[in-house]
Amino acid sequence: MNPTVELITKMADDALIIGHRHSEWTGLGPILEEDIAMASMAQDKIGHALALYTLLQEHFAGPDPDTMAFSRKPADFRCCHLVEHPNGDYDFTLMRHFLFDHAEWLRYQMLRQSSFAPMAHFANRISGELKYHILHANTLLQRLARGSEESHARLQAALNDAFPLAMGIFEPGPYEQELAGTGVFAGEEILKNRWFLEVEHRLLSWGFQVPALSDAPAGWGGRKGYHTEFLQPLLDEMAAVIRSQPEASW
Amino acid sequence: MYGGGYVFSDPEHQIPPDDPEKLAEFEARIDRGEKIEPQDWMPYEYRRQLIRLIEQHAHSEIMGALPEGAWITRAPGFKRKLALIAKVQDEVGHAQLLYSAAETLGKSRADMVNDLLSGKSKYSNVFNYPAKTWADVAVIGFLIDAAAIVNQVANSKGSYGPYCRALERICYEESFHLKQGYDAFVALATGTKSQRAMLQDAVNRWYRPIIHFFGPPDQESKHSKQLMRWKVKMASNDDMRNQFLDSYVPKVLELDITFPDPELRKDPQTGRWQFGDPDWAEFYRVINGDGPCNAERLAVRRLAEAQGRWIRQAIMNPQQSVTIPFA
Amino acid sequence: MIDDKSGIQWNSEDPRVQRLGTFFADFHPLQQPEEWVTYEVFHQRRRGEQHVHVGSVHAPDPELALVFAKEQFARRQHCSSLWVVPSSQIHISGYENEDMFSTTPDKTYREASGYRLRHKISSYKQAQLHESDR
Repeated sequence: MNPTVELITKMADDALIIGHRHSEWTGLGPILEEDIAMASMAQDKIGHALALYTLLQEHFAGPDPDTMAFSRKPADFRCCHLVEHPNGDYDFTLMRHFLFDHAEWLRYQMLRQSSFAPMAHFANRISGELKYHILHANTLLQRLARGSEESHARLQAALNDAFPLAMGIFEPGPYEQELAGTGVFAGEEILKNRWFLEVEHRLLSWGFQVPALSDAPAGWGGRKGYHTEFLQPLLDEMAAVIRSQPEASW
Repeated sequence: MYGGGYVFSDPEHQIPPDDPEKLAEFEARIDRGEKIEPQDWMPYEYRRQLIRLIEQHAHSEIMGALPEGAWITRAPGFKRKLALIAKVQDEVGHAQLLYSAAETLGKSRADMVNDLLSGKSKYSNVFNYPAKTWADVAVIGFLIDAAAIVNQVANSKGSYGPYCRALERICYEESFHLKQGYDAFVALATGTKSQRAMLQDAVNRWYRPIIHFFGPPDQESKHSKQLMRWKVKMASNDDMRNQFLDSYVPKVLELDITFPDPELRKDPQTGRWQFGDPDWAEFYRVINGDGPCNAERLAVRRLAEAQGRWIRQAIMNPQQSVTIPFA
Repeated sequence: MIDDKSGIQWNSEDPRVQRLGTFFADFHPLQQPEEWVTYEVFHQRRRGEQHVHVGSVHAPDPELALVFAKEQFARRQHCSSLWVVPSSQIHISGYENEDMFSTTPDKTYREASGYRLRHKISSYKQAQLHESDR
């Protein structure tokens, strides 16, 4: 696979799956205002996936975005395990959103300098959206961390669950050196270290115990096409209507 | 999305007499076409009926998010997926706007939500029917939203300022809903044989709830007359139903999709649509809690509220009392 | 999904709801404070324009009010800045005093349109013309 294609595919798959998970809250959120905010972020993420699949189609002769999202087998997906897990309670949703979006924000900041110009352009374009995503996560988490004993305990538990999975975001791909060498993307290791600086001091200041960074965690595998048991049913559900009549257009 | 014909009189309710001088002033203001604002004096019954109307409308939005929401994770293709999330999000947003408008009349959002969850408040019957297939999403997005627009455009010319302002924005967003619904409807109608069959089946199931949507046939009740005079109720149920049928029956028929009612036709003499007996007894059964999905809708709403409770409570100030938005 | 009260098991038409919970909580009424308080939202479309009141949001504090206001009031319209103000901090002049403003439009000496000169100049010129004709 072309290194840039590999990079874009995993980014798009992450965005699609977490956006899909976020959208599961639409109409069912904890309070109307938050419901609306989460629905916007769901749309943003799915929109990012669409834009990235479109980059693959336009620059690398990839299939059309609907085929990428709705017709591939799980083993063809390159998303990390973190995004595949079911929403559970809102505590896990929020903590995952915080951990994932800080990585997204930093990844796209790095990509603003990418030598692959369409990616740099895209990273610049969505910078404002990502800024909102981390503002939302930071503002809400900070308050819930200091809110009640229950909210603190819930979020600590969610952090303990989500943190090892978040390591999977930075699972090195097969082309780390090529991507860094050609200036497309500086690499997962650099991203991981920057990310840890960003999230650790926040989590500590909110009174959470932060698990240690680990190099061979349970959350790896997604970037190589090995997935949790949650991905297959998610994709089956997502494609249920399309697959009912594959020849039709909707 | 809301059909406004659900005004029920409750004869046991005691209406205290209004100050006749203030009442005359109030009615003169309405007759001059001026809006009423939250800080104005208003008749007891005006306030009570408006709260009920706006609250029912808000409940309908939040309940209306459920049948379509059921298809968010299954929407076919990026375009439909994004549009459906945005649409259901708008419904939640409309509920937010409408609850705010009702709050200006002095009832807190918590009280309104409690009345919904306890089953005391009503919401539009149409959301107590299931969305069984993707075609249901198309029918809701096209025909139910179209019906809602007829009602909401009428209401937006009413007398209460905050409700009109909320409706202005809602109607703007509904035009996107209608368009994306029509788009999905036409895609099925012009699609494969089995897509057409799926759509026809959905139209067959939704026909009666749509006829019910605008409420029971007009009655010359004193109640309804007063609400019309005060511009709380802006058009009669039958007029709105007729206006809807006028605009949208031809749009469905031209796609060779039919309605399951051999008596549905427009009387060329009177310009009024005629239709077979829509079984108003069913309408009353559903509004009183005995529809196919009433139990599920309420249970899901309660579950959603219960799931969000720890978040709301963790960052509340227990000493804080209700504040009333000013406009 | 199992109804806690009746113990009846049934399927929701919504797969999301199936995953959301395995039982239905009994109905516990919301307490007022858990709906937080209201903030009025003012929206500026573009730099240089006025901030305009567009509605209100429920939030526990101003920072979250801004976070929520952004998606409820600026997800479609162009926006360059938002203000939020606690509703309790708004002071209103009161419609019962609307008559204080009633003569405002009559005071045309405050308006440029209250000064009409052209006809005077024209008739002066006309008069001058007749003068020179003579």
